[in-house]
Amino acid sequence: MKTQQAMIDQAKSLLKKLLEDGEATAVFGLARGMGGVTAPRIFTMPDELDSLVLEPKWPLAKPAMEILRTAPGGYRLAVVCRGCDERALVELIKRNQVDADALVMVGVACSGEQASICLCDRPYPSKLDIGEAAHGVDPFDDPGVKYLLEGDTHTRMGRWERVLKRCVKCYGCRNSCPICVCDPCKLEGEPWVRRGIIPTEILSFHLIRAFHLADTCVACGACQEACPAGIPLVTLQHAMRRALREGFEYEAGLDVNEKTPVLFDFIQAPEKDRPIPDWINTLRD
Amino acid sequence: MAVEVSNNHKQQKATERTPRILVFACKWCGLIGADGAGRKREPLPPNFRVIPVECVGSVEPDAVIRAFADGMDGVIVMGCHLGGCRFNDANHAAFKRLELLRALLEGVGIGRDRLLVTFGTAHEGHQFTDVLRNFTNLIAKKESLDTSWTSSRARMI
Amino acid sequence: MKNITVFLCTCFDEINRVVDYERLCSHLSDDPRVAAVTVSRGLCVSGGAGEIGASVKSGDGRVLIAACSPLARGDQVMRDLERAGVPAFRRHLVDLREGCAWIHGNNPAAATEKALDLLNMGLTALEYKEPSADVTLKIADEVLVIGAGPAGMAAATALARCGVDVRVLERGAQPGGMLGLVSRSYPDNTDPSEKIAAFRDLAASDPRITFHSKVKIISARGYAGNFTVRFTAEGEELQAHAGAVIIATGGRVFPPKGYYRYGEVREVVSQIELEARFRKGPVKKENAVFIQCVGARCEERPYCSTICCPASIKNAMRIMDENENARVWILHRDIMMPGTTLEAYYKKAMERGVRFIRYAESDPPRILGDEAVETVEVRDDITGDRRTIPADLVVLSTPLIAGTDAEAIGDLFGIQRDSYGFFREIYPLHPVETRIDGVYICGSARWPVSSEQAMVQGEAAAMKAAALVGRQTIRASEFSRVPGAKFGHARVNEDTCSGCGNCAAVCSFDAIRLQRRSGEGEFRMVSRVIKVRCKACGNCLSVCPNGSMQMPEMNTKALYGMVGKAFS
Repeated sequence: MKTQQAMIDQAKSLLKKLLEDGEATAVFGLARGMGGVTAPRIFTMPDELDSLVLEPKWPLAKPAMEILRTAPGGYRLAVVCRGCDERALVELIKRNQVDADALVMVGVACSGEQASICLCDRPYPSKLDIGEAAHGVDPFDDPGVKYLLEGDTHTRMGRWERVLKRCVKCYGCRNSCPICVCDPCKLEGEPWVRRGIIPTEILSFHLIRAFHLADTCVACGACQEACPAGIPLVTLQHAMRRALREGFEYEAGLDVNEKTPVLFDFIQAPEKDRPIPDWINTLRD
Repeated sequence: MAVEVSNNHKQQKATERTPRILVFACKWCGLIGADGAGRKREPLPPNFRVIPVECVGSVEPDAVIRAFADGMDGVIVMGCHLGGCRFNDANHAAFKRLELLRALLEGVGIGRDRLLVTFGTAHEGHQFTDVLRNFTNLIAKKESLDTSWTSSRARMI
Repeated sequence: MKNITVFLCTCFDEINRVVDYERLCSHLSDDPRVAAVTVSRGLCVSGGAGEIGASVKSGDGRVLIAACSPLARGDQVMRDLERAGVPAFRRHLVDLREGCAWIHGNNPAAATEKALDLLNMGLTALEYKEPSADVTLKIADEVLVIGAGPAGMAAATALARCGVDVRVLERGAQPGGMLGLVSRSYPDNTDPSEKIAAFRDLAASDPRITFHSKVKIISARGYAGNFTVRFTAEGEELQAHAGAVIIATGGRVFPPKGYYRYGEVREVVSQIELEARFRKGPVKKENAVFIQCVGARCEERPYCSTICCPASIKNAMRIMDENENARVWILHRDIMMPGTTLEAYYKKAMERGVRFIRYAESDPPRILGDEAVETVEVRDDITGDRRTIPADLVVLSTPLIAGTDAEAIGDLFGIQRDSYGFFREIYPLHPVETRIDGVYICGSARWPVSSEQAMVQGEAAAMKAAALVGRQTIRASEFSRVPGAKFGHARVNEDTCSGCGNCAAVCSFDAIRLQRRSGEGEFRMVSRVIKVRCKACGNCLSVCPNGSMQMPEMNTKALYGMVGKAFS
């Protein structure tokens, strides 16, 4: 296991080389600045990379997208990506929000400790440049996830009610999500924000937000971290991520060329292993 | 636990109401099935409303969420058999989407069985009645769905 | 706004026997949206639709009809309204008979409640419905036929006879396709080169037919009425502007590699190799054995190729013609000879002394011999006997499979293919049409067929194409599976579209294209709807994350409004 410092040194030399060789116009990563404050920074000169750090976890995919949107032609941005950043960027490429040609992803592994905080089952990018891949955590082993996702529906509805009622409708979950890109968002106006009812029904808000990310959520946890009320929002996504994995062997963000089953591969005849409910079979044992 | 107590309170409220069921029926199969049931004058429980749609492809998952928000206890989406869709494979697209929505509904505790996605053909009118009766029975056995709660902040505003 | 006129039909007291119409009327006349309520005894018989149309035609009037189900007479009333000039967004039908009165006859109070809700839903839908803008297109005169096999030749000939300009693109140097590979066509036993020569003469003499050989297609774009296809013919780059495209690219023969020691011992040949031998000269054999279903009706290719049984029987009799002492066996799993002509052909073969032995898929025949085939061992599935047949020729009947360029052609024109790679027609009952209007398929590109059937299909496709290019202009709304059934097409709000491409990916008709936003330096896309291709299924709006995609006649507001009023 490499030490944190060794990883930083490796990252610095790798990124310096990218800048010097002209592979990238700039590097986007975290920097420790004056007074020890860590914040994202765009490094354009190799020397600036001395202030580069890799911790703490900071979702970089969305700001990277914003940088690339306004970048001039020929600009290439190297982004220091954790597993989730990489997967989010892959999803953004799939959804035509980021020009893949303008992006260089430099993969960094997360520590096992970070993985257990995030309940991440894949705490490393597919293209790993820095560090060693730690073991993932199965989110469904977590008691908090089990509490909300397993067991009798009616009991769980009560649990979710208690959790979701804390929502203050700050839209922080939506704004921090690297994959939520619509402008305007469906949840900003009619018919979801109904006149005279402020705010919208909490449950609908969260169901819509969750469902719009059904097959693109990479479980990075940005929504959950942004939530001032501490709502375990990723848990909602886990339910659909599991359905996608079990039903279609699909996971978001793994490969730019992998197509989501929600939008592709429709069949015209029932397949052996995937029964389609016909009226005749419906609700009969 | 406090939560469970409040649930019991709701359960009592539940049994008093007949379930409200919304049916999204595709014009080419589901609606014809409903029509077939009507022509036979099969007595049916009056607790359902049919919204005809051109194809189940146009049933937005958000509209299903809206239906639950508007107080439905169950939603049925009726389309054509696979391979029998007038719109090529739009029915399978809808099916996949709504399967995912079912997973979400299960996750959040509404329960996947409150959304029924089912395929049939126009001549299966007698089955329309079966599906509807069975679904009503299934929903009636469940506790009433109360999604009307808002955040604790909302009450203060 | 008071702009909705409501017509309540009692269906000769069928509906108001159960539903309390007085309550409906009083409720409706209190509604601020309703301008007038009229109760009629039978809207369908009184010919009232025309009058209704005339009464609401002016201004922004909208009509709510409460009557029977669309399948009974409802749709007829709607069609009458369409003819009277009331478009889809200004009318709505509520089914109170089949959908309410007849199924809730035992509970009139609840039925009235339900009727009220249904009417409310209808009013809300009418409030929000919007029109989709229709477009009128000019139609190019020419038809493009891709592939000059039997299907393509028949299509081109038929079109030229109709007086339609037709351009034929052939990959090879000569027309003919698979007909050029066989010695005789069945069941007429004629030399197919006559048919090919006839077509070549026609193409040369008829000014309506332009024939290009050695063609490679570079690109294809456009929609019904306006296809632009770029291609090279004998190295020269050309462009065709066509109103319709007929795809007749055919299939190809499955090579029997790995079956029955093919390639290992001499005189084990495929059916198409036997045809080549016949074309060179007489084939004199003493004992010929045909093996059917080689690589067909198995797990990978469960389909029956339909042409192999007739072809084997034809060639079996030909071997007997050329050597009257020859003995011929056909080892089969089932003989597929449907129809009167083929059945007679089968009978004739039996009378001539062709021996048919049925084998089981689980116990296929075995080829014995060191260098050349000597005997064939087979277990007769009916008697159970194991037999050894002397053989100096074994012919393997393999099925047709999808052509090598089927995938490329399919992608160019947006046609779907089935799991075996053949082009897929649209369901139901549109045998030569594809999901892309103006693109038709025929012949073995669609499914393995005999040359005769391919010609029939080619002519069918030609007539479909002629019906389209025979018109000068067409409206986008006319492209519908069912006449008069298409009620609109999707509309995208380009200001709010984020360009995620969900709609373009999910569209079943390839009707949505992603384009780069013009006039901006940013990397951003926007979707555009090709109205001609759109069939209004609504798949796109279901996957649009922010409601930029709408079906004006049934938009989100109308749908949610109906949901909200369902139990009011």
